Amino acid sequence: MTRVPLERYLKNVATGLPETQCEDIVRELREDIQSEMEDKERALGRALSDTEQMMVLKSRGNPFVLAAHYRQDDRSVAFGRRLIGPVLFPFYAKVLSFNLGLTAVVIGTIFLVLGLSGQKLSVSSIFSTCLLQLLIQFAIVTFIFTLVEKQFAKNPDNWDLSGKCGRLRFDLNADKLSTDSLPTERKISRLESVSIIIACTVALIWLAGVKNYPSLILGPAAAFLKLAPIWYQVFLPIGLLTMAEIVRAAVNLVRPDWVLFRQVYGLFVHAGGLMVVYSLIRAGVWVMTEQEQQYAPGAVIVNQLIYYALLVTGAISGVMLVVRLMRVIRGAKSKTGTAGKAGRQVIPSAR
Amino acid sequence: MMHGANHFELFENLRLELRRGSLVLAVLAALKKEQYGYTLRKTLEEQGMAIDEGTLYPLLRRLESQGLLASEWREEEKRNKRFYRLSADGKAILKQLLGEWESINESLRGLV
Repeated sequence: MTRVPLERYLKNVATGLPETQCEDIVRELREDIQSEMEDKERALGRALSDTEQMMVLKSRGNPFVLAAHYRQDDRSVAFGRRLIGPVLFPFYAKVLSFNLGLTAVVIGTIFLVLGLSGQKLSVSSIFSTCLLQLLIQFAIVTFIFTLVEKQFAKNPDNWDLSGKCGRLRFDLNADKLSTDSLPTERKISRLESVSIIIACTVALIWLAGVKNYPSLILGPAAAFLKLAPIWYQVFLPIGLLTMAEIVRAAVNLVRPDWVLFRQVYGLFVHAGGLMVVYSLIRAGVWVMTEQEQQYAPGAVIVNQLIYYALLVTGAISGVMLVVRLMRVIRGAKSKTGTAGKAGRQVIPSAR
Repeated sequence: MMHGANHFELFENLRLELRRGSLVLAVLAALKKEQYGYTLRKTLEEQGMAIDEGTLYPLLRRLESQGLLASEWREEEKRNKRFYRLSADGKAILKQLLGEWESINESLRGLV
């Protein structure tokens, strides 16, 4: 029998558990909490309501802190004083390794293209550029997580089953446990809306800068490459789509319960994005050389890379659009049914 | 002179510290008889050694990885439960720890 709050709680615990022991620990925790709930039900002579189940779970404490107890490795980041504690460390490690990996791939690709196009590169310049970029990424991620840690330390008991913790939200490894039986979230986090507004505003500023300073997108290759005219045609639609997303986030900031609005609105923005990708693919050329012919082979390689990247982006985006469309249709169909089902998912009377 | 709230907080911290040191002994002693987590927790609570789940289960895993406990999943009351029991090494360590505990008690009695 599925107890929805319990499964959500266990899912949150699982996000912070070591991979190898995750299933075993969750299985034992489930058994223990179910035993406690059944004891309470026997005493009451009836099934516990969702609120009463939630009270049992609250008495167990923050799921992320509980997961940290199991890890027992006490890994943290400290420069003099502790900046990131053992509760947040696994999330920090995941984000940092992803970020550093991505940065290494991007820098590697740029140097590969520069090398293939005949640019003279010294080992020391490659090393210093890589080190600088990786250090920048490390500093940014560590700084953000230090702020998150401060926020978490202030509100360790402020958590709920949607992944919220200390006024923050974690969902970095939600696929460890099946979520099929869980009801969909009924509200959009205000933190998420604010984050989107900030991120989109930064993206708009960056986009405006790219028009005048192509090095913001081309990096060191801007010395001999320039953007093709197609980019100047799609800057406006991309800017409009970004602004549309800011408007959507602002609406959901005021009305976090407008989940369907976000889904339907998101479909239009997504479709608009797909059209931009389509027009980019049709253009065929995305970067051009400044006059020097010696850089032409480099431009060909970059164009090839962009072509494949656009094809992959278009394919993924198309599939995602279909999935989102189906989700909206399914959600609209079962809107009333789902609400009733979630309300009924308490265990039957023990009598 | 300490104020009431400060005194209480200080006492609570020291009391928890003192009890924390006895938890391993309490868990090993309680597992002379095979039990699963939930009944173990209730046994400890009934004996005045309440321990929260977030501490108990990681402790059980640590003791098992140190070879002091053995565990197995078994069905009881139509549900699979993980049963823990003291291993041979655990029995030997428990005996030594109990001896140490008696000796600390003796020393403290002499001092107090």
